[in-house]
Amino acid sequence: MLLRTKLFLSVILLSITGLDLFGQQSFTLSGYVKDLSNGEDLIGATIYVDEISSGTITNVYGFYSITLIAGVYSVEYRYVGYETIKQEINFIENISQDIELSDGGQELQEVVITAEPEDSNVSSVEMSTNNLDIKTIQKIPAFMGEVDVLKSIQMLPGVATIGEGASGFNVRGGSVGQNLVLLDEAPVYNSSHLLGIFSVFNPDAVKDVKLIKGGIPARYGGRIASILDVRMKEGNSKKLAAQGGVGTIFSRLAIEGPLIKDKASFIVAGRRSYIDWLAKPFVSALRDGARLNFYDLTMKMNYNIDENNRVFVSSYFGRDNFKFDKEQGFDWGNQTATVRWNHLFSKKLFSNFTAFYSNYDYKLAFGQTDDDQFDWDSKITTYDFKPEFTYFINPQNEISFGAEVLLYNFQPANAVGVSNGEVQDVSVDRRFGLESAIYLANDQKVSDQISLQYGLRFSHFTYLGAPTTFFTFDDPTPGLRKEVVAEFEADRFESISNYSNLEPRFSMKYQLNGTNSIKASYNRTSQYIHLISSTTASNPLDVWTPSTNNIKPQTGDQYAIGWFRNFQNNGYEASLEGYYRRTRNQIDYIDGAELLINEALEGDLLSGKGRAYGAEFYLKKNKGRLTGWVSYTLARTELQVDGINQGDWYPTKYDQTHNLKIAAFYEVGGRWTLSSNFTLTSGTPTTFPTSRFEQQGITIPYNAGDSRNNTRIPVYHRLDFSATLQGKEMKNGKKRKNENYWVFSVYNLYSRRNPFSIYFAQEGDLRTEPVPTRATQVSIIGNFVPAVSYNFKF
Amino acid sequence: MNKINPPYYKFFGIALIVFMLGCEDDINPNLEEALPLLAVDAWITDKSEPQAIRLSFTRSYFENSQTTPLLNASVSVDDNLGNSFVFVDQGDGDYVWTPANNQTLGVSGTSYTLSISAEGEQYTSEQIMMNPVPLVDSVTYRLDAVTAFDDDEFIGEFWSRDLIGEGDTYWIRSFLNGQLLSLPSEINIAFDAGFVGSSFDGLIFIPPIRDAINPLGDLELLENDSLYVEIHSITNDAYQFLSEVQTQTDRDGGFGELFASPFGNVPTNISNVDPNSEAIAVGFFNVAAVSGNGRRLIASEVSN
Repeated sequence: MLLRTKLFLSVILLSITGLDLFGQQSFTLSGYVKDLSNGEDLIGATIYVDEISSGTITNVYGFYSITLIAGVYSVEYRYVGYETIKQEINFIENISQDIELSDGGQELQEVVITAEPEDSNVSSVEMSTNNLDIKTIQKIPAFMGEVDVLKSIQMLPGVATIGEGASGFNVRGGSVGQNLVLLDEAPVYNSSHLLGIFSVFNPDAVKDVKLIKGGIPARYGGRIASILDVRMKEGNSKKLAAQGGVGTIFSRLAIEGPLIKDKASFIVAGRRSYIDWLAKPFVSALRDGARLNFYDLTMKMNYNIDENNRVFVSSYFGRDNFKFDKEQGFDWGNQTATVRWNHLFSKKLFSNFTAFYSNYDYKLAFGQTDDDQFDWDSKITTYDFKPEFTYFINPQNEISFGAEVLLYNFQPANAVGVSNGEVQDVSVDRRFGLESAIYLANDQKVSDQISLQYGLRFSHFTYLGAPTTFFTFDDPTPGLRKEVVAEFEADRFESISNYSNLEPRFSMKYQLNGTNSIKASYNRTSQYIHLISSTTASNPLDVWTPSTNNIKPQTGDQYAIGWFRNFQNNGYEASLEGYYRRTRNQIDYIDGAELLINEALEGDLLSGKGRAYGAEFYLKKNKGRLTGWVSYTLARTELQVDGINQGDWYPTKYDQTHNLKIAAFYEVGGRWTLSSNFTLTSGTPTTFPTSRFEQQGITIPYNAGDSRNNTRIPVYHRLDFSATLQGKEMKNGKKRKNENYWVFSVYNLYSRRNPFSIYFAQEGDLRTEPVPTRATQVSIIGNFVPAVSYNFKF
Repeated sequence: MNKINPPYYKFFGIALIVFMLGCEDDINPNLEEALPLLAVDAWITDKSEPQAIRLSFTRSYFENSQTTPLLNASVSVDDNLGNSFVFVDQGDGDYVWTPANNQTLGVSGTSYTLSISAEGEQYTSEQIMMNPVPLVDSVTYRLDAVTAFDDDEFIGEFWSRDLIGEGDTYWIRSFLNGQLLSLPSEINIAFDAGFVGSSFDGLIFIPPIRDAINPLGDLELLENDSLYVEIHSITNDAYQFLSEVQTQTDRDGGFGELFASPFGNVPTNISNVDPNSEAIAVGFFNVAAVSGNGRRLIASEVSN
C-alpha cells in the first residue's frame, strides 16, 4: 500500500513539475463569471481558448483561472442558455476580468439560445454525474405542485426510491444513509418534510444541484454511495427582487437584493405549510393546541471584500411540527450554518475555507399531565472546518488539495419519564467522534483525447471517550442479539477506536472524436457514521451512530465505464454507463432489534457485505420546443449478512431491476408550457410468509424457509402532468415590471394505486376462531392529486 | 418502541385524511408452499386451575380452517426440584395438567423445562425461570380525551409498581366483562415499569402501559362494564418474543407502514433434541406467576 501511495504521489509531482520546463513566459487570466441580470455566479461556465482548442470551467464559486504562454488568444465565455462573449485577449500580463453573461431573455418563454449547447457531456472527464439547474427542476411536474429538488433527482438514471413517503433516495444500490447531502457545504441529515413527502430545499433559494454517483472527486468523502451537492443562490447583487408563490401546501416568499451594489448581496427565503391555518376554524383540535405544520427558512449573505477576498454566510432552519394536543407531539428538523471565505493567494491559487455547524434533532412528548409524561429527544450535531485549495497551473493541470476536520456529537436519546410523579431519567449517554481527512488531486489534460482526474484521500476516524459506559460484545451466533462480555470507562475525548482508510479516486476520458468519448472511473470511499433504520422506509426517527469498538466503518469500491455521445450539434446527448460496486461492513439488524433508547444498540447490529451492479442509459434532448430525457437503469443490489437469509445473498429493499423515467417539456407557444413525466419501476422486494400458527389466540405469520426479500410487491408506474401559464407580458401597451405564472398539475394522472407495501394480518380475534387472515396492499398515494399554484417575481 | 409509535400512526393518519391520499386493498398473493412444523403454544401459570399446552401444525398462511392438532404426544413439564407435571392428551391438540386442591404448578424462583415427544421426534424447551410478579393494587377509571382530536371517554387504568431490580418483564392481560382482550393491538408488555432499553425500574407502570388495558377499536367502556387486569411474569426472552409478535401482527396499515418493520420470523425457545432433524418447532414456553385485580365502571364514581 505504501509503495503504491509513493508511486502515486510521484506521478502527481512529475505531472506538475514537468510542465514549465520550456521556460517560456506565461500569464494568467482569472476572474468570475456571473449572470448579467442578477449578478449570480455561474457554476460550470466554459472559458474556451480557440488557439489551444481547450480551456477551463468556472468552479462552484464562479471563479476561473487560465494560464497561457504569452501571446494573443481568442477567448470565449460560454454558458448553456446564455449569450456567448468572445474576446481577443493579449496575454502580456496577468489579467483579472469578471464577465457577465446575458441569458438573452426571460425564462419559461420561447427564447433563442444564442450559445450552442455545450458538449461537456462528451468532453468533460466527469462521469456518473448529473447536473440539474433550478430552471429544469421547476419544469418537472411536482406532487401537490410543490417544486422539489429530491423528487427531481429521482428522475435521473441510477436513482431509486422505496416509494412515496419514504425519506431520502437510493443511488446505485446505496442505502439512504450512504448519500452525503450538502447544502452550501454543510451536510443535511434528514432531507425531508412530512416524512418523505417533500424535501427540505426551498426551490426559490436553490441555484444548482449536482448528483455525483461515481468517479467521486477526492475533495468529497464521508459517505460511500453518492454526493448530492446543493448550492444556494447568492442573492441578486443588482437590484432588490422578490419571488414567491401560493401553492397547495406551501406559501413561499423569497427576498433578495444588494447590500452594497455589486459588492454584497443577500437572500432570505421562507416557506410554510398553511393547511393548519385554513383548517383552524373547522377543526377544534387545532384551536386546542394541536399543530400540523412544517416550514423552513434559508438565508445567505455574501460580501466581496476586495478582488482577492470574498465571504459567504449561509444558514438553513427547518422544522416539522405534529402535535395532537398542547402537551403531546412529535417534531423534527435540521439546522445548518456555514461560513466560507474565498481567498486568492495568487491569480492561480484559489482557496476556500469553510466552517460549518449542522444539527438534526427530533423530539417526542407523551402524557397529558406533569405527573405522567414521557419526553424524549435525539440529536446529532456536527462541527466542521475545511480548507480547500485549487492551483490552476496551466490549461493542462489543475491541482486541488485540502483537509477537513469534523467533530460529531451524537445524542441517541435524552429521555425522561415521569410515572405518577416519580421522575426517571432513561437517557442514553452522548457519544463523540472525530473525523479528519486530507486529499490531493489533479485534473490533467494529457492530450486532446485523454483527460485524467486522479487523487487520493486519506481519512481517519477516532471514536472518542465520554462519561458513559462502553461495552464489548461477544462473538455472536449470527443473527442473534450479542451479549455484553465486558464494560469499560473512558476519559472524555480519550481515543477508544481508530480507523483510517486510503481512498484512491481515478477518472479518465478518452475522446474518440468530437461527438464520442469513452470514460472510466474507480473510487474507494469510506463512511464512519451510520444511519440506523430498520423500518421498511427511512423515517425521521432514524438515528445516526458512530463507528465504535464494535462497529467498523463502511467502505465501498466502485468501478464504472461509460460511452458518451452527442448528436445533431449537441442537440441530443446520450450516455451508457455500467457500474460495479462492492461494499463492506454494511449495517443490518437482528430480528426484533431495539434501535431507539438502547444503551447496547451495537449488540443489535449486524455487519455484512454488499454488491451492486447495473447499466444506466440516458438520452437527453436539449434543443427545440420539445425537450426532456429518457433514463433507464437495469440494476441489481444485494447484501450478504451472516444470520440473515441463512447467510445467502438477498436483494436489498431498494433493489429495482428496472427503472424507467421519462421527462418531457413542450413549449406550446404563446404563454403555455406543458410538462410531463412518467415513472416505471420494478416492485420493491419484500418478504411474504408461507405459514401461520397461533399463540394465545394471536395468529403469527411465519416464513418456513427463513428467507429475506423472497418476493416483490407489484410494479410501480405513474404519469404526472403539468401546464404553466405565463402571465401577460404587456399591460396597457407597456411591458410589465413583474412576472407571474400559474402552474396547474396533476400527480398520478391515471390514479394508479401504487403499492408501497403489503402486510399480513389477522381479522378478528379468539371469538371468531378460526381467525381469518388477509394480505393488504397499502398505497401511500392512491389517487390522482390535482394542484394549482400561483407564482410571482418582481 | 412498538408502543411508542402507535399514537403517531394515528396522528399521521389525520394528516393523511387532510391530504385525502392513502388507500388499502385486500389482495391474494401466491405464497410459497411449506411443510407443516410443530407449533407449541405453552404459556402456563401458577394459577390453581387446569393448565393447557396446545400442540398443532403450522399451515398455509391463508388456510382459514381449524388447525390440525398434534395427537398422541407425551408432554411434561419438569422443574429443577425433581417434580414432573404430566400434561394429558385431550384428543383435540390440548394437553392439560389438572391441579389437585389448591395445588399450583409453579413457584417463583424455580426453573422449568418442557418436553414433548411425538411422531418419533423429541422436542425440548430451554430451561426457564418462573419470575415473581407484583400485585395489582387497583383498577380505576377516568373520563378523558386521548388527544385534542378525540372526544371524552372512559379510560381504565391499572395501578401496580414494578418489582425492585432491573430487568423484570411482564405481560399485562386484560379481561372486559370476563372476555380476554386478545387482539394483536391489545398485547401489553412491560420491561420493568416501561420499555426495553430504558430503565424504569421500581416505578408505577408508566401511562401507555397503564392505559393499554382498554378494548381497542370501536368498543367504548359503558356503565357497569368490568375490567379485570392480570400481570403475568415472563422471561426476558418471552418479552422479546411478544415484542416481535407485536411488531409482526399489530399492523395499522396506512401511513403507519412508513414506520413498520419489514417481515421477519419471531423467535422460539423450543428445539428438536436432535439438532440435525428437519422437524423443527415454533412457538414459546413460559411459566408465569400471576396477580390480578378488577373493577366495574360506575360513571357516578369517576372524577374528571
